[in-house]
Amino acid sequence: MAVRLWEVMERAQNGPFMEENYFVKKSLMPTIKKLIRKYEIKADLSKPVNTSDELADKVWQAGKELFLTVGVYNQDTHRVIEFDEREVNEDLFAAPSYYLVGKNHDLRRYGHRKVEDTEKPFIIMSPDITYDEQVFFNACLSYLKEPLLDGICSPLLGDFMGRPMTSHFPLEIGGSMHHAMTLRETARLAGRPDVFFVAVGTAESDMAQIAVSNDQWGVRAGDARLCGGITELMTNNQMLNKAIHYNQMGNLCAILPGAIYGGYAGGAEGTAILQIAFILQGLCVYGASFSQNFPFHLLYGSNTGREMLWIISAYTQAVARNTHLVNDSNCFANAGPMTDMLFYEGAAHAISSVVSGNNLWTCAPCRNKIHNHGTPLEARFAAEVAHSVVAQHMTREEASEVVNKLLAKYEEKIPHDNYGVPFHEAYDVLKCVPKPEYLDLFYKCKEEVAKMGVNFIY
Amino acid sequence: MEESIKKLTEAIMDGDDEVSAEAAQEIVDAKADLKPVIEKLTDTMRELGRQFEAMEIFLPEMILSADAMVAAMDIFGPVLAESGDIQKKGTVVLGTAPGDMHEIGKNIVVTVLTADGFDVVDLGKNVPAIDYVNKAVENEADVIGVSALMTTTMPGATEVINLLRDKDLYGKFKVIVGGAPTNPNWAKDIGADGWAESAAEAVTLVNNLVQK
Repeated sequence: MAVRLWEVMERAQNGPFMEENYFVKKSLMPTIKKLIRKYEIKADLSKPVNTSDELADKVWQAGKELFLTVGVYNQDTHRVIEFDEREVNEDLFAAPSYYLVGKNHDLRRYGHRKVEDTEKPFIIMSPDITYDEQVFFNACLSYLKEPLLDGICSPLLGDFMGRPMTSHFPLEIGGSMHHAMTLRETARLAGRPDVFFVAVGTAESDMAQIAVSNDQWGVRAGDARLCGGITELMTNNQMLNKAIHYNQMGNLCAILPGAIYGGYAGGAEGTAILQIAFILQGLCVYGASFSQNFPFHLLYGSNTGREMLWIISAYTQAVARNTHLVNDSNCFANAGPMTDMLFYEGAAHAISSVVSGNNLWTCAPCRNKIHNHGTPLEARFAAEVAHSVVAQHMTREEASEVVNKLLAKYEEKIPHDNYGVPFHEAYDVLKCVPKPEYLDLFYKCKEEVAKMGVNFIY
Repeated sequence: MEESIKKLTEAIMDGDDEVSAEAAQEIVDAKADLKPVIEKLTDTMRELGRQFEAMEIFLPEMILSADAMVAAMDIFGPVLAESGDIQKKGTVVLGTAPGDMHEIGKNIVVTVLTADGFDVVDLGKNVPAIDYVNKAVENEADVIGVSALMTTTMPGATEVINLLRDKDLYGKFKVIVGGAPTNPNWAKDIGADGWAESAAEAVTLVNNLVQK
């Protein structure tokens, strides 16, 4: 939902001038530190799922104050986009609390969730990594066959017609069109022609995104599209171009906020606060309909470690308790397909997210960086865990206990590479089904997770 | 004197550039031998680097400490140059690949290389391939570094190396690459001289390359 879109663009062009270095060092970093002290925010990492309402509310207040104090920096114009509290409150009030997405038998409700909510989470599936052109079609089809999928972002392309795609070069437009066409075609073949798309991730630049807007073969009005939040609390003209286009297309514009643990925000407390400010950047600058949240660890690029799960629970509860905004929580796991660690990581992330009041986006394996290494089966696992813990009305206290048991399975292994196997070794590519040995591991891990306290629905 | 050195190392650990400069000036005014002081500072920065890699401290602390180190070196520099004791480690030209807006990784490498004593020319983000080549020539650089965080920006590193070849400059500068989706095999395939997974590895790599 776009409130005062053009007034914001004017601020992006004519707001107060500031050097980028000054914004980071003298505005952003010290303000985060000051707000942690002011609100006395302290992470208790022995409980990887936060159980304190008071702490969640402090995180919200600090994050909102960070956004109001620092604003958002436009790297292209070197201008700060500022808002006053009345405007932020207006945007928060005006934002819808749910959307009806997809059509016909794929119509779904994608809505705000509360802490320990008993409403089903909305599940978006995507590995968020690139695949070979030769398996791309079948990889997309495999995801679309997943029964718990409410929306898809899908695998990405790195090459087009045998050539590496280069950002801002015509090959990027070609590859992005190929992606959009393939996704539309595979959705029909899977019997889900009107399923909700978040597309297309292959298109990095604004021009490539604009090129794939097409009601027949590409991204349609009503699909969702993403606008990055740049490290940290920054934007640029390309992102603003995307936001304008998405809002005018009738897309659900979403911000991609990924506050970095260990980066400019410092530790867990600062990262949670920064994530809130990023969500407000999406709402107020991009007119975002929802936030696709992926705070991650500076060294590992993942978000399934203890401190990351705490951050996810804290910012999620902050938003769930203090707004009616729509959110989802994107899993970045360390391990790869055909490893038990990947299932355990996905489960821990799902529990921390949905019990705290988030929807789920799952799952990017291998620290989101190993080509071809992702399958729908790990997404299915996390989705089954998410629905099950919601159905059994799991509390945050219980969630914290289960997540601690899951962490015991993999916490020590996080620093070590454990990338498993690529899609074509874990799946029968032609039939788009998991290989028996991967399914065996799936069921074995389900039994293990059930023993930890998850009552699987089936 | 010991007191001023202690004050200086503590100021660097605390990331206080004003106190760091003050302590450095005290040391210069006392006409102390700067060599052992510089060695002490190098040890301090190494310890900070270790703490950062272990996430015992975070990027803000690392940046402020590097700034404090630079503040001290700004005062020591002219004295070292005059005495002939200054040893330039090398010049590194760094940026993110064409089309790539993600620069936190590159910024960390800039910070740790600067703290390690290199002259770093930070080209910023979304740097056209030709700019790497021109700036390396202009600054008589030893190393060119290209960071890419997206698969679609990785070809930008290849473009830099291809330009060096086309301008008969390949081999004149060492080229290093890095970034989340990159790997050592790809680096080798495109003709880079080195690849690093982390900032700490980048420092070791650059030190090794400039010694060759």
